[in-house]
Amino acid sequence: MITEQGVKDFLKTGGYIADDAIATAVFLALRMEKPILIEGPPGVGKTGLAKALSSALDFPLVRLQCYEGIDEGKALYDWEYGKQLLYTQLLRTQLDNYLSVSADLREAVERLSAEESLFFSRNFLVQRPILRSFLSEKRSLLLIDEIDRSDDEFEALLLECLSDFQVSIPELGVIEAKRKPLTILTSNGTRMISDALRRRCLYLYIGYPELEREVAIVRIKFPEICDTLARQMVEFLRKARELNLRKPPSVSETLDWAQVLSILKASQLTPEVVANTVGVIAKHQTDLQKVNDLAVQELS
Amino acid sequence: MERIIAGFVSALRESGIRVSPGESLDAVQALGLCGMTGRKSSRQLLRLTLVKNVNDIPVFNEVFNQYFSRYKFFDPEMNVPELMDAAIVDMEGEFNYLNQRQDDDHDEQGPLLKLDSDINPEDLQELKSLTEIDPDDSDGNEIVVQMKGYRGKAKAPRPTRRYTQNPLTIELNKNNNAPMGITFTHEEQIAMQDVVSRMMMRLRKDMKRMKNNQNRGKLHVIKTIQKNYRHDMVPFQVALRRKRREKPRLVVLCDVSFSVSHASRFMLLLLHTLHNQMLDVRSFIFNREVAEITEMLANMPVNDLMETIDKGDIVDLDANSSFGQVFLAFKKRYLENLRGRPAFIILGDARNNYDEANDWVLDEIREKARYMLWLTPEERDTWKRGDCLMEVYGSYCDKVEVVKTVEDLSLVVEDLLRDIYADHAHPIDKKRLREAKAAEVYDSRDYYTRGSTGGGEAVFDPSGRSHW
Repeated sequence: MITEQGVKDFLKTGGYIADDAIATAVFLALRMEKPILIEGPPGVGKTGLAKALSSALDFPLVRLQCYEGIDEGKALYDWEYGKQLLYTQLLRTQLDNYLSVSADLREAVERLSAEESLFFSRNFLVQRPILRSFLSEKRSLLLIDEIDRSDDEFEALLLECLSDFQVSIPELGVIEAKRKPLTILTSNGTRMISDALRRRCLYLYIGYPELEREVAIVRIKFPEICDTLARQMVEFLRKARELNLRKPPSVSETLDWAQVLSILKASQLTPEVVANTVGVIAKHQTDLQKVNDLAVQELS
Repeated sequence: MERIIAGFVSALRESGIRVSPGESLDAVQALGLCGMTGRKSSRQLLRLTLVKNVNDIPVFNEVFNQYFSRYKFFDPEMNVPELMDAAIVDMEGEFNYLNQRQDDDHDEQGPLLKLDSDINPEDLQELKSLTEIDPDDSDGNEIVVQMKGYRGKAKAPRPTRRYTQNPLTIELNKNNNAPMGITFTHEEQIAMQDVVSRMMMRLRKDMKRMKNNQNRGKLHVIKTIQKNYRHDMVPFQVALRRKRREKPRLVVLCDVSFSVSHASRFMLLLLHTLHNQMLDVRSFIFNREVAEITEMLANMPVNDLMETIDKGDIVDLDANSSFGQVFLAFKKRYLENLRGRPAFIILGDARNNYDEANDWVLDEIREKARYMLWLTPEERDTWKRGDCLMEVYGSYCDKVEVVKTVEDLSLVVEDLLRDIYADHAHPIDKKRLREAKAAEVYDSRDYYTRGSTGGGEAVFDPSGRSHW
């Protein structure tokens, strides 16, 4: 029996510092076997959560990166036509023998169609990520990344998979999941996700973390950064987020910066240090200047 | 517990959050799994299961605070008189809290509801009525009766904003020389969203078909072979080369000076609703200077944005508007990095305050733009009067339209979007579109006004301030 605190603890072993909302969502998703839909600005650790969960729970990670034009052949299953052709070629003599006993054409067709299901069996089925995670012997973690990049049709296709954890294949019938995977969908909100999909999921919004949590994140990833420097960094970045930048620095930028500072062996933040490493946190030309100004104003 | 959740869900629905029965079942299940350990965790559980949209979270918090202030998590050993005291302290506390801004996300036992700091007499009246006891509720012992009296009324007072139509409050606002900013009421936003979503729905149907045809091109040999592998290379299915898929781009320049503030507000609201749709919109506002607000539109609630603009934080509102200078600044700062032949919409009255016209800039914009549309709230008769340069600027535009209501605006924008799409549609579609247009016998404006009562202007002009 896992508790919410338990979730927090094992996420921490996976290198992920969760807040209460995240821990509760994960806990519920595990117990209720419902997917989680995570929204939030880029770089706050939506995909990171899935990765951390997969390593902490020891669920194999099955990742499906969505893009415009993705369809069931890429996400659910496909037939292996090449293999089917190859088999019919190789089995030609067997087929000849098998069919030669039949008296006329009608009987031959009947005999052949009796064996038809052989060619649309699981032998010739290519498992794409969703089906693979459903059929995995071990409970897996299915990450459907950036669902907002896919089309409406694909979203509709997911509805069956996410609510019943099953895939309908016309030739084979309904295939149900052996172990329901822990499913995580992420979205950057570039497109509205339909209500039908939202309804099937728990909804989690991850924003920028609080000061303490962000400091803890830096400390757990880069233990060599001392507490005061981590705090200074995080406080500076929090101010930078309020500057109305074109691309506000996110947690991933915080971590990049922490790495840079630890490589440079910086012991504290000064305007010079910021000026030298500003490219890590600001990603637009206009932002660079604003961040530098902030550094001069705050740190000197 | 089911009853409480059902009640809470219906309260959420009343505030406009759509919650399905399935979701409320989830909520019950989740509470059953985790247990009600505290206000904070219960709030999280309910939010995870019931709210499926970021924008709904503030509303959820408000409803939660309002609804569950009735069901407090109190010590079961606490006796009734103490409870009573607590309730009274709560109520009185509310008066003390009046002048404080409360963060919705606070989990303390805060006030029952949030009030604006400037109280008007009507509100006070409402508040006083809290202490009265409803005669219908007068059974049970005295304490219970009094408690009921508090409960029933606790919901009554609403933020002052709702009384803007009251002549008294309008008068008060004038006397205070209050900033001219008005924010949109909930109803207005809903009406707007309605108009836009209907427009989008109609557009989307056409667009989809066009998009599919748009991709037609020459035969894609490799893909055709790949696709027909399964048929032993007999080309049953043909794959055609895709053409570059174009997302319609839109650049909007919106005047926010006082003279057109009403029109620009609707424009901004329309943009806000259009955002994240199938468009690539860049929005700018200007008065004497110009600033980009694309990001803000995408990330901020529309009313907050309005306030920020009204305060003059983005562009200085006190200066006289100057179209000439704005165009010049726009050319310098943004024109270079506009990509993909966008369609331009400029909203403004073209009143230049006798400044330099700089109309040659429009010529350069014209070169970059696929289409240029000028929207003005003024009638054609007044275009030549005073400092209005509409005639000069208008000559550079493909079209100049007079818009007066939200419906006008959305119709014009819809037409524009249709045109953009049709621009690179397949010839077959162009033909089909022409036919569809010809077949359309009724005036499409009917579509909007048929069901609604009264003119749009009255609805969208609560303070009666503008005359445009």
